[in-house]
Amino acid sequence: MNQTSQLLTALCWIIIALAVSPMLWLIVQPYVRSMSRSERRATDLLRDTLTSEQMRQLLWQGYLEIPSPTKPRRVYRVPRTRGYVQVLENGRTIMRLCLQPIEHLPDADMIVLHKLMIEANEETYLQKANKYMCLD
Amino acid sequence: MLRVMSRRGDDRLTWDEQKIQTGDAEAIAAIEEAERIFAQERAKGATAFRIDTGKPVQRIEKFDPTAEQIVLVPRVVGG
Repeated sequence: MNQTSQLLTALCWIIIALAVSPMLWLIVQPYVRSMSRSERRATDLLRDTLTSEQMRQLLWQGYLEIPSPTKPRRVYRVPRTRGYVQVLENGRTIMRLCLQPIEHLPDADMIVLHKLMIEANEETYLQKANKYMCLD
Repeated sequence: MLRVMSRRGDDRLTWDEQKIQTGDAEAIAAIEEAERIFAQERAKGATAFRIDTGKPVQRIEKFDPTAEQIVLVPRVVGG
């Protein structure tokens, strides 16, 4: 009887561990990834490219806002993790853009890529990106 | 410095502009290698950006050894 109860307790703990581990992985995953060599190198480039104010915005707000070099009321909102780049005009989202390199890049490099292309190559950036208009 | 974005983060190649002017063989070799990588990546469709502190980012077509930093971004496509 005692052995059966011990076995059941152990089994319960195994089930709990199995149920919790995916959630734990979701929490820990960004930290593990940020510690990888490629992410570290990409983060170095990101730090070298952004101002301290832009780094703060990225960290606290989860995105980087890049003003359009050609349209004064336009801002590109680049997310910290992969996803659509929002195009805002007068504070309203007018479209979302999707653009990706042919080769996989770490997340931090993706932010640098968007920043460089928007600031120095906006026309090509817009030509190449797939656009999803926001009609609301 | 030349920085080439890749899945490994970015590969870097540095050179000393002053040593090049004095004809240092090692520095010249480094710059020739940087120029070769630049041409190779551009041929694959990469875009090159010149970054100098306090100046706006500039897209460049030709390798410039006087640049503080050149970043090569792989070819992009609509997602």
